[in-house]
Amino acid sequence: MRVLIVEDDVNLNRQLADALRDAGYAVDAAVDGEEGHHLGDTEPYDAVILDLGLPMMDGLSILENWRRSGRTMPVLILTARDRWSDKVAGIDAGADDYVAKPFHIEEVLARLRALVRRAAGHATNDIECGPLRLDTRAGRVTLDGRPVKLTSHEYRLLSYLMLHKGRVVSRTEIIEHLYDQDFDRDSNTIEVFVGRLRKKLGTDLIRTIRGLGYAVEPPAHAD
Amino acid sequence: MRIESLSLRLFLSAALWSAVSLAAAGVILVALYAQSVERAFDARLSVYLKTLVGALAEGVGASEGGDSLPDPGNLGEPRFVLPFSGWYWMVQRERDHVVVLGSASLAGDSLSAPIQPNPALGRSARGLLLGPRDERLRYLSRLITFPDGASYLVTVAGTSAETETDIRVFGTRVALTLTVFGLGLVLATFVQVRIGLKPLDRMRAALQAVRAGTASRLEGTYPTEIAPLAQELNALIESNQAIIDRARTHVGNLAHGLKTPLSVIVNEARASPGPLASLVIEQARRMETQISHHLDRARIIGRERAIGARTEAGPAIAGIARVLRRLHGADGLMIDLDIEEYLWFRGERQDLEEMVGNLMENGCKWARSRVQVTARLVPGAEPQVMQIDIDDDGYGLSESQRKQAVLRGERLDENTPGSGLGLSIVTDVAGLYRGRLDLLVSPLGGLRARLTLPAA
Repeated sequence: MRVLIVEDDVNLNRQLADALRDAGYAVDAAVDGEEGHHLGDTEPYDAVILDLGLPMMDGLSILENWRRSGRTMPVLILTARDRWSDKVAGIDAGADDYVAKPFHIEEVLARLRALVRRAAGHATNDIECGPLRLDTRAGRVTLDGRPVKLTSHEYRLLSYLMLHKGRVVSRTEIIEHLYDQDFDRDSNTIEVFVGRLRKKLGTDLIRTIRGLGYAVEPPAHAD
Repeated sequence: MRIESLSLRLFLSAALWSAVSLAAAGVILVALYAQSVERAFDARLSVYLKTLVGALAEGVGASEGGDSLPDPGNLGEPRFVLPFSGWYWMVQRERDHVVVLGSASLAGDSLSAPIQPNPALGRSARGLLLGPRDERLRYLSRLITFPDGASYLVTVAGTSAETETDIRVFGTRVALTLTVFGLGLVLATFVQVRIGLKPLDRMRAALQAVRAGTASRLEGTYPTEIAPLAQELNALIESNQAIIDRARTHVGNLAHGLKTPLSVIVNEARASPGPLASLVIEQARRMETQISHHLDRARIIGRERAIGARTEAGPAIAGIARVLRRLHGADGLMIDLDIEEYLWFRGERQDLEEMVGNLMENGCKWARSRVQVTARLVPGAEPQVMQIDIDDDGYGLSESQRKQAVLRGERLDENTPGSGLGLSIVTDVAGLYRGRLDLLVSPLGGLRARLTLPAA
């Protein structure tokens, strides 16, 4: 999952970025409104964490601009102003959730996870696909009830595919959503990780659609 | 004695002045009247005296008989003949004061000796004396000398009872008239003071309205004398409001400015556990509670003043519902609104939002599947009152829990920060508008939070 953080407080920005990276997200960070707006407008993010009080361009305007130009990624607002009128303004501008400052990073992570999951159309924390079960909250994967040990890169790739199960996900999409701007797009990292996942989960869970990308489907539908 | 009432002061001073001046006028009038009545009486006496002297002179001329003088008769006034009628005349020899002649009314008696006219000062004298029946008489004496050398003191006296009665009657009438007149003046003063001070009453009512929060400034036009006062008061109210607003903004900025650093501190501390970190976390949490507690209080300080605002309930509640649906919609939670059209809350939008928002958020937190908001005007209430019910189908609260939850927000100043349900701020804000929050059992099965607020 690739997430954009727009927060002008450098320390808070760093803390959020660190926590999100630790949780397995690819993170881009902006410290002013214009940079944040530009990134959100041009890069495909799975979610955005947006502070409202920003220099150069305030959070609400950024959000309204994104929504006007058809950007639909879930946006989590951070705000020190937690009056209802502020909340209504945020939601009406197109926010999906808000967290009032001061907050605990865990709170932000939990809300973000819920937003990403809901955006992919899943109502619960658990996503199942045949014998495979992904608990997004705990970050656990089980196969036929047995826990499967995955590295963080493997987990990120699998959870993205699981969240979009039943749909073909291209290699470019995976790179765009799993890695931040600085990732070397020509490497064959994705192929390597898909191979490792197949080794741990069995070959029939992740199908390769030649020329298009990968898809996760329950084995029953694989035929 | 200090008199605090302006109207009483004006009224008393006017009444006192009227009383004094009317009394003085009365005294002067009576004195003048008495003077003129006495002068008329004296003139009458003088006529009688002249007639008497004329008759005597005629008689002296006619009979050359020494001391004998002719009877001049009644001088045209029958009461000189009627015994003890109060009207008398008397002729005395100047030499030995022997009464030579007396009016028939004296019936042989004589008048006590009048004061001798002093020839050096003039030949006449006048004054009062007591008559034969001890009646008060007014007399006129003149020393006359006939050509034969005989000098006589001629005195005419008449009772002053009539003139005194006259004067007394006149005095009574004057007093009566002036009293009526004075009462009229007092009444007029009273009316004048009331009318004159009416604008002050209006101003007081207007100020009261400002203080009660039904007006934001002194409304209406005032007479030129107090119009500047009204202007000054308005300026004072405005600057007061500006100061409150500024202070509130500063408190808000301070509080909001602290929130980001607090986030950073807490998150940093949580990332590196240890005794210092837990101390920092705990203290930061205390700071956080303090900030939000005082921020909430600062928001509502001085709000009761300068309100005059009204808010349509429908859009405000719909906005909150949009927020909550976005946050809870995915969990399958239904938020139903049933809000009467054209329902206006008499107060500020953010206050309504804060109250309803907190209650609806609570409802969403505890509801299993449904939150219902019903708002309507209470029929027949004057002044108008609206009721907002926030129902959920959660587990509700027991009676003692409900009491406890509302109690917590009872006193604005003695609240300890950080109440779990966030109801204290709702109770406080509702209290500011003389409204109330009641926790009841919902027909949906959970809690019904009922806000009763002034409508407009």
